[in-house]
Amino acid sequence: MRPSAFDYHKASTLDQALALLAEFGDDGRPLAGGQSLVPMMNLRLARPRHLVDINALPLDAIEIRGDALHIGALVRHERYFTDPLIAEHFPAFLEAVHWIGHPTIRRHGTMGGSVSHADPTAELPSVCVLHDALIVAASASGERRIPATEFFLNAYVTALEPGEMVTAVEFPLPSGPTSGAFMELGERVGDFAIAGIGVVLGHDGNTITSARIVCSGARLVPVRSADVEAFLVGRTLADPGAQEAGRIFSAAIDPVGDHAASAAYRKGLIKELTRRCIAHAAGKASA
Amino acid sequence: MKAENPRQIGARVQRFEDTRLLSGAARYIDDIRLPNTLHLSFVRAQVAHGRILEIDTFGLEDIGYPTWVFTGEDIGNLSMKAHQDYPEMQYSEQPLLARDVVRFVGEPVAAVLAEDPYRAEDAAELVFVDYDPLPVVGTMDQARDASIPPIFEGWKNSMFVERQMKGGDLEAARAQAAHVIRRTYRNQRQAGVPMECRGVVAHYTPGDRMLTVWSSTQMPHLVRTYIAEELDLPEARIRVIAPDVGGGFGIKGQVFGEEVLVAWLAIKTGRPVKWIEDRREHLVASLHARDHEHTLEAYVSDDGRLLGLWADISVDVGAYSTFPFTAAGDPGMAAKVMPGPYDFQAYEATFRGFATNKCPIGTYRGVARPSAVFSQERLMDDIAREIGMDPIAFRLRNVIREFPYKNVLGFTYDPGSYAESLEKIRDVLADDIAAAEASKSSATTRTGVGIACFVEQTAHGTPDFTRRRVPIETGYISARVEMQPDGTVVIGLGLQSHGQGLETTMAQVAADALGVLPETIFVRHGDTLTSPYSMGTWGSRGGPLGGGAVHMASMQIAEKLKVLAAHEMQADKDAITLYGGRAYVTDNPDRFVEIRTLARHALRNVENLPEGMIPGLEAEFSLDGPRDGTYANAVHAAVVEIDVPTGKMKLKRFVVVEDCGTILNPLVVDGQVRGGVVQGIGSALFEHFVYDAECQPLTTSFADYLMPQAPEIPDIEVHHIETPTPLTPLGAKGLGEGGAIGPAAAIANAVSNALDVEVSETPLKASAIWHLSAHLRGEA
Amino acid sequence: MTMTETTLTVNGQTRTLDVEPRRLLADVIRQEFDIAGVHIGCAHGACGCCTVHIDGTPRLSCLTFAVQCDGRDIKTVESLGGFDATHVLQLAFKSEHGLQCGYCTPGFLMTLVPYVEENVARGTLPSDEDIREAMSGNICRCTGYHGIVAAVRKAIGDQIGGGQ
Repeated sequence: MRPSAFDYHKASTLDQALALLAEFGDDGRPLAGGQSLVPMMNLRLARPRHLVDINALPLDAIEIRGDALHIGALVRHERYFTDPLIAEHFPAFLEAVHWIGHPTIRRHGTMGGSVSHADPTAELPSVCVLHDALIVAASASGERRIPATEFFLNAYVTALEPGEMVTAVEFPLPSGPTSGAFMELGERVGDFAIAGIGVVLGHDGNTITSARIVCSGARLVPVRSADVEAFLVGRTLADPGAQEAGRIFSAAIDPVGDHAASAAYRKGLIKELTRRCIAHAAGKASA
Repeated sequence: MKAENPRQIGARVQRFEDTRLLSGAARYIDDIRLPNTLHLSFVRAQVAHGRILEIDTFGLEDIGYPTWVFTGEDIGNLSMKAHQDYPEMQYSEQPLLARDVVRFVGEPVAAVLAEDPYRAEDAAELVFVDYDPLPVVGTMDQARDASIPPIFEGWKNSMFVERQMKGGDLEAARAQAAHVIRRTYRNQRQAGVPMECRGVVAHYTPGDRMLTVWSSTQMPHLVRTYIAEELDLPEARIRVIAPDVGGGFGIKGQVFGEEVLVAWLAIKTGRPVKWIEDRREHLVASLHARDHEHTLEAYVSDDGRLLGLWADISVDVGAYSTFPFTAAGDPGMAAKVMPGPYDFQAYEATFRGFATNKCPIGTYRGVARPSAVFSQERLMDDIAREIGMDPIAFRLRNVIREFPYKNVLGFTYDPGSYAESLEKIRDVLADDIAAAEASKSSATTRTGVGIACFVEQTAHGTPDFTRRRVPIETGYISARVEMQPDGTVVIGLGLQSHGQGLETTMAQVAADALGVLPETIFVRHGDTLTSPYSMGTWGSRGGPLGGGAVHMASMQIAEKLKVLAAHEMQADKDAITLYGGRAYVTDNPDRFVEIRTLARHALRNVENLPEGMIPGLEAEFSLDGPRDGTYANAVHAAVVEIDVPTGKMKLKRFVVVEDCGTILNPLVVDGQVRGGVVQGIGSALFEHFVYDAECQPLTTSFADYLMPQAPEIPDIEVHHIETPTPLTPLGAKGLGEGGAIGPAAAIANAVSNALDVEVSETPLKASAIWHLSAHLRGEA
Repeated sequence: MTMTETTLTVNGQTRTLDVEPRRLLADVIRQEFDIAGVHIGCAHGACGCCTVHIDGTPRLSCLTFAVQCDGRDIKTVESLGGFDATHVLQLAFKSEHGLQCGYCTPGFLMTLVPYVEENVARGTLPSDEDIREAMSGNICRCTGYHGIVAAVRKAIGDQIGGGQ
């Protein structure tokens, strides 16, 4: 369990990193925290011929740029906990990060790494899909913004092209008062989710004016539900119909069943976590 | 004066080995580094059952650095054989490298050597093996299916073994019974997972014609004997060393093919050869455990007395029989221990070990007892429920109270504290029992309390292995105690310490006998050159037998010191006492001679020794287990809280009341109990080695094979009752495995209590709990 | 395969090596610096055995390539309290029986030493739940964690006074 051979390139500028990735194409991978990629390499499930170390690049900002919160690809997970902008604008995000891994992993793992790895049970891909985030992908030929809902194509498969890397994720700032919550259930602390639910409710007074909901762990990519979101809009924080929303979401998803959990269980979990999550988010907003 | 040399046995002495282990100074198998070493990487089977058509090593020809490749064709008939010589057992052996047929995913097919471990791994990837697939025997049901051919040619069915055990008149018990309760219980397949994987380094030096083998093993002498026999080498020219060993738990208490093969490769290549198992290899191919299915039928009188028990025991033992405990080990042990701590005199059991295309199973902490106790103690709860009795009261009605007790199979139990332990746990849990009862009104949050009461045969000795015809053949443990001219002591211990603290506890034992401080005693172990022949550390035998052997050998030296002291002080030998580093003439604190002075006289200035006394202060003692061993007992209790809508369970409390007889060191005993309990919690809740229908393993990393982490575990409360046994020199019974035996049963009983359902299998993952609680959500 | 010149300082010893990029930091510390206190338990970042400090921060040395650590200051368990194991947390592990086979122990120590220091600096004795969360990335198979939790509690408690 040691990696196969590769060449190591330490990039000191983004342009240099992108030029290297362009040169290597499918054979190249950026290396950031290494918490997802290196285990895959040690198990020889990933065999990049070239690693481009991007840790020295200035991609670690958390700041408001325009109407979005910009989170650089190299922001380490542990920073989310104490960042005032995340706490202020994205309460579901803040709740989700409590479920990420263990302290040492949170200290080194990065936003860009987690999003690029695209584990279907991981928290951050779900958080991105939940918030309609844009994944900023850069390559030698330019930069593009990929909506999170179009970024995650399958388990461990993203819309990134060879030579492209994630430089940031942009979370559109909410236009009015919002509340949010994130809950998941794993076998142990820090485990990947059997199922997780995130919800964001925009509201005007007591009335829910917008709703987004996402489920992780149940399918190969994070799943949104237009039906649940439509159901919630127009309802009240005092009576958001959480139970019914859980029923709708659960009925709409055909979850995977495997040795970790049955499909029926995942369905049941989606129903209950959806109920709890909506009730929790609505409760926080009306408190 | 007593205060100068307080009794060491029973004292909470901090461990001497800790300084080495805490500081980075310990040396484990991967720290054995020899110049010019070749590193071994295995090509392992990727199909569960197949005929080898071709092994293609063409890719190695232009790899650009030297490699060596060996396959089954290169190694002659070298194999692992583990057979019990009775007619009901079908013969099997596992070639060190597969010949013709592979029988489980992970079976070694080729050995690839290179001068660097990374390159060895690269090279092994370039060896391609082509297989003709054979029908897979993937489950015990398939093994029972006569239309699927057995995995060994010439076998009459897919069973390594099928035998019976019986005692008393089961027909009469059945006839008298007011209640007949029949249930089937299952425990999942597990891996043992010490934090250090296995590993072997071997080096042959032609000058002294010495083969030295370092192995991360619990039984260096048995490794030596097996290598000697298989490679036809003189045992005197083989030295096996177990360096610091990073956990064993029984998994390293076997002789493995890799140990023999690495030794052979070192001789063959003339260079040191090193193999360090990686974690995936360990999970897939080292040794599995459990995988039991028991159907029990109990016969119970109308006043709640257990009259008799019928048992049908099946174990999926995988593809090969392992040495030295064999494919019959787990099933036979389950049948033997199923009667447990209860007083009844009619029993009949059939046990069988099925051969399937999975990794072989072997001894893992508790061996068959966690599964047997799971079934036994689930059954006790299910009976209590069915006949409307409180589970603790039902056990108290049936538990053995008079000792010695001859059980239904003729095993004699020495004194224990079965009823007292149950009463103690009832007191400790009173509030939790009440809370569980109160939670019954809730459909969303349920609390449950469950207990498991068990007796554990420990300190197995030669009589036990002879009866079972196990290839280990014998069970004694030896210790050689040598006092040096300066009065310090070296103990050559036949045990091997891999976390048990034997460097401390054995020093405590010798210190009391010799009247010296334990700090002056150096315990050497794990090296066949410095320790007397012995069976190694397994089977909860270290304290009772190892401690007993050290005590007996030390007493022989003490006797000699007393004779010498009496001679020098012109006193009566029987008036001499040894303590505080001195030999005193009793009743006179001013009449003494330093023990180190006596030692010098015995070893250096021998001209003044008493007439006829031979110079030297050394003694060796081999202590075998009592005929039926000695029986430790314990009650485990779990308190769980279940969130019914999600199936999320929290283990709120875990309490142990245990009786291992004389406690040598409470720090170590509590540590053994707690560590065992948490492994048992892993069995109950998380750990499951899963195969798909083609016997491809699915849980091959720690992302899938889940062990308890700190947040899932509560503090483990331990209460002691000490009932010393008359059967071992110090009154100690074994306790290394006990912690792991009770948790699955106790937790399953707690879940049963919480949800008011019967629980028939582990692991109790969130998904399982959720399905078990369907009725509380109105779904069933 | 290109060898990469890399300068590492491990426990104060600085060496410049030509390193194959794929070599894990754990392997390079063990083989090139002859330091045995870095243990590999899983080699896929899931057990914490190989935790070392890089510039004072705990990191899994099985998920780190040595070439990434050019110019960095690396510390292993050997740096804590020498061969007498005199660091306050090492002593607490000993008195509270926070270890048995010792294989996971260096990883626990390197994970928990900064945690103990942070809590001592703050003057707070964390809850058992918090202590257990802090060690959630480390697996111990022997102790059942009981003695490790007690050792952390003692190491912090003794330093801030009013201890247990």
